[in-house]
Amino acid sequence: MPSVLHSLPYFVAGWLFLCGLYGIVTSKHLVHAVICLAILQSSTYVLLLAVGYRVGGAAPIFADISTSELVVDPVVQALMLTDVVVEAVVVALLLAMVVKAHEKSGSVSPDDLRTMRG
Amino acid sequence: MMNPPISPALAVAVPLLGAAALTGARKWLARAVMDALGLLISLATLFICAWLLLGSVHHGASVYWLGGWWPRGSTAVGIGLVIEPIGTGLATFAALLTTLALLFSWRFVETGSNHFQPLMLIFLAAMSGFSLTGDLFNLFVFFELMSIAAFALCGLKTAEPAPLQGSFNFAITNSVAGFVVLTGIALLYSATGALNMAQIGLSLGTRHDPLVLFAWTLLTCGFLVKAAIVPFHLWLPDAHAVAPTPVCVLFSGLMVELGLYAVARIHYAIFAGCFASHHGALHMILYSFAAATVLLGGVMCYAEHHLKRMLAFSTICHSGLMLATLAAGGPLALAAMLAYLLAHGLVKGGLFFLSGVLLHNRRSITEPELFAAGRKLPWAGTLGALWILGGIGLAAAPPLALLLGEAGAEHAAELTHLHGLSLLFIFGGGMTAAAVLRVGMHTFFGWGGGVISDRAAEIGELPETKPENRKIHPYHIIAPAFCILFAIAIAFLPGWLHVLRDAAAAMANQPAYLHTTYTGQNVPLTQPSWREAIPGAAGRGLLALGLGTLLALSSVFRNRLPRPLRAGAFMEHGFRPLRAMQSGHPGDYVLWITVGLALFGSAAMIFMRA
Repeated sequence: MPSVLHSLPYFVAGWLFLCGLYGIVTSKHLVHAVICLAILQSSTYVLLLAVGYRVGGAAPIFADISTSELVVDPVVQALMLTDVVVEAVVVALLLAMVVKAHEKSGSVSPDDLRTMRG
Repeated sequence: MMNPPISPALAVAVPLLGAAALTGARKWLARAVMDALGLLISLATLFICAWLLLGSVHHGASVYWLGGWWPRGSTAVGIGLVIEPIGTGLATFAALLTTLALLFSWRFVETGSNHFQPLMLIFLAAMSGFSLTGDLFNLFVFFELMSIAAFALCGLKTAEPAPLQGSFNFAITNSVAGFVVLTGIALLYSATGALNMAQIGLSLGTRHDPLVLFAWTLLTCGFLVKAAIVPFHLWLPDAHAVAPTPVCVLFSGLMVELGLYAVARIHYAIFAGCFASHHGALHMILYSFAAATVLLGGVMCYAEHHLKRMLAFSTICHSGLMLATLAAGGPLALAAMLAYLLAHGLVKGGLFFLSGVLLHNRRSITEPELFAAGRKLPWAGTLGALWILGGIGLAAAPPLALLLGEAGAEHAAELTHLHGLSLLFIFGGGMTAAAVLRVGMHTFFGWGGGVISDRAAEIGELPETKPENRKIHPYHIIAPAFCILFAIAIAFLPGWLHVLRDAAAAMANQPAYLHTTYTGQNVPLTQPSWREAIPGAAGRGLLALGLGTLLALSSVFRNRLPRPLRAGAFMEHGFRPLRAMQSGHPGDYVLWITVGLALFGSAAMIFMRA
């Protein structure tokens, strides 16, 4: 069943996206919310790699293969690496905020963080 | 091919490298040196962007391929910066606002051990890159860079819990938006194998299938989160309430509007051909979201008593007005939206600067505590006059330049038979002007008494400047005065509208845009003037202003009025469900984003299916 196998990464990407979203919406812990954001983002990794995959393609390193050989798309791999960098920065910044919040209020619950409403 | 006078990459590289150098040196440099260097780099960027702008106006649009990676045939292999008047104009505006913000923060605004200046420069680099780039993935990278700098700037005052709430919610919602955009980009890449916007547009042609529709939904909704369109707007008031004043100026003045610019850009460069037969439905969907935004923003703006939150809701309302203008469709609407963007950015920036002056001198930002405080300020007359002028401007009444944008919007709506736009402008302009005028009457005139308050206003905000110096310096006045007076000046020197109209015509014409991108040659396109629509717009602006003034007066003097006439006081208490929506919980905000995505997506699937 090759068609099912080919569409599997897309389902995985969609599933991860929804998992992350569900996690953030129901989160009771700020660190948990940040990790859920990271999970949401990993759906984009899977999606990008799935988009660039070619059946039977080699790794796009032309040191030991000829340039006419079928390779997987290197562009999306570059995009994914950029995406990893973005994630690292976002997660680091958010976790730093969580540490600060814990220092100030002694709590890591999003309910205790909110001071302004309405 | 006309080469740009200087390398356009400098518009991004100068502030970015400057920020890196300043960060490295921040521990050894005195505050004043950091400020001076930051201001200098920002001025240099302003100069570069303005030069690029003038070059593109005089010699036509051009494309700069980074690293000399020219396209092979119709395949773009490198990243292109598109040097046309609109993108360079936005970059110039970003540099101008950053320069004013850095001037305003000179020596007094707390900088979190000199982190402030480099972050502002990174923010500027990201905004100018976002405006110039012609590559979709590059757009995402600058979107994220802009967001990350913004999160950090927003949470700069980490000595209190409220900034953490504001910046955490801001960071979570806007990161989700970023990943929604990235998913859309990945889908488009899978469909076309291209990342250059023009090449994607060329490759899609008139293709219209569920994949394209899905990608459009994701990209548009992602950017609408940045543009604070209901129901994606919830992060904005929290972020504005806690960010330092000079940062608020950049958020409200340009960052939010860049979301709308991106929506317009991807629509015209990529999807215009795909949805050519569904223009009506597309515009109705955008128009419905915009109308909801104007209504909610207007009502909530009047119900707020925390000055920055009030101005934040007014930004939401005006962002809705700009999206409604865009939804009228066509190059004229695009030009009108951009004219409105420029004028609104100036006026809103001026109002934020003025609220920053109040916070600096009176150590408070809420309306009840500031009652009659404006009269005790030095320069009270000037500050009060600027504040009231800002209020008049928000109503799109003469003599401020928002009027020109409103006139164009109305003209575009007439041409495309879109109804109700003028009512939206009167409502949105009237409500936001009423809120600003009410604060002006309370704070600067000391009229009325017994100011109504609300829950958010009771939290207040700790001052962002050091307590030992409450003096108001000339540079505290220069920034707001420049903003408001510039908004008046450009209304009387409307020569720039020609340039804007022609540039918008070129941007909104997909074949012309593709031609420019690939050959670097400019296709001259012109469109009719909307000069004849200005008197009508002035009338509507004055009507909005009149209604707004009446509302504000009925609120300020409510105790002298019979109960049925206290409309203002009634509006001022706000509506409980709308306040409850603003819960302050990041999970709720993301839930609303999901709901908005689902609504937008199902509307697109029902009304725009192939």
